[in-house]
Amino acid sequence: MSHKVCFMYPSENYILDGIRSALGLSVENMYSYGVVMYNELPELSDYDKENIEWMRDMEGEVYTMNEANVEKHGLPKITLEELGQKLREMDIIIPYGIMRSDKT
Amino acid sequence: MAKSIGIFVTSPQNMRHVMGVTKAAVAKGAKVKVFFTWTATHLTKCPNFIELCELDNVDVSICADSYKKVGYDVTDIPKGLDEKKMATQAQHGAIIEDYDCYMTL
Amino acid sequence: MKILHVYRSEPNDDVQKLVEIVSEGRETESFDLNVESPDYDKLVEMVWEADQTICWW
Repeated sequence: MSHKVCFMYPSENYILDGIRSALGLSVENMYSYGVVMYNELPELSDYDKENIEWMRDMEGEVYTMNEANVEKHGLPKITLEELGQKLREMDIIIPYGIMRSDKT
Repeated sequence: MAKSIGIFVTSPQNMRHVMGVTKAAVAKGAKVKVFFTWTATHLTKCPNFIELCELDNVDVSICADSYKKVGYDVTDIPKGLDEKKMATQAQHGAIIEDYDCYMTL
Repeated sequence: MKILHVYRSEPNDDVQKLVEIVSEGRETESFDLNVESPDYDKLVEMVWEADQTICWW
């Protein structure tokens, strides 16, 4: 059975590498998801866009709680409540990196 | 019976916890695998990183791509590791697939 | 299903909300790593007993 895993990214400097890490589990045949919690992403490189597309091709997704990333990058919106419900379905939950200092 | 534990290290702030959990688990007879990624690869420069690598029944590897991206030379292999332990995110997959318990630190 | 919540720092409001939702209707335990000398022996035992461990920031 394929595992379901969800990464959460609350800190800016950890998002893009965290997405790469989530993709790493997609290619291991897991259902892999990422959630950008607070930050507005900068312009994405082709490499980063391809990583997200590749995750989608393997039935994963990168969600955002920050509305700005919906229009700017086409990431589906998720609320904190919805994220909580999604985590209930997961086998592995990964609070990734560090909590950003202004969200203590 | 001791269950195996896999630890995915994604924060550079938790070396004492990595050491603490690993030593406690090994002392109870468990097998432990630790994989460091992104800024946590800075922890390879901690004085106790070698101690971690030298513990019995502990498999330590790092993400070579991360190590390079945070500014190190991948040919400068951290003491305690060898070339095979300069690895990819597949090691994280192995933690999830092959180990009984999972932690993120 | 038994869930172990491990806290590496004081959980903020969002983390507390996520823990509340994830824990609803399930058996849960918690362990605070944000102390001077965590009892790692106890933590390992708790990890072994749990079906899922979540190490919050």
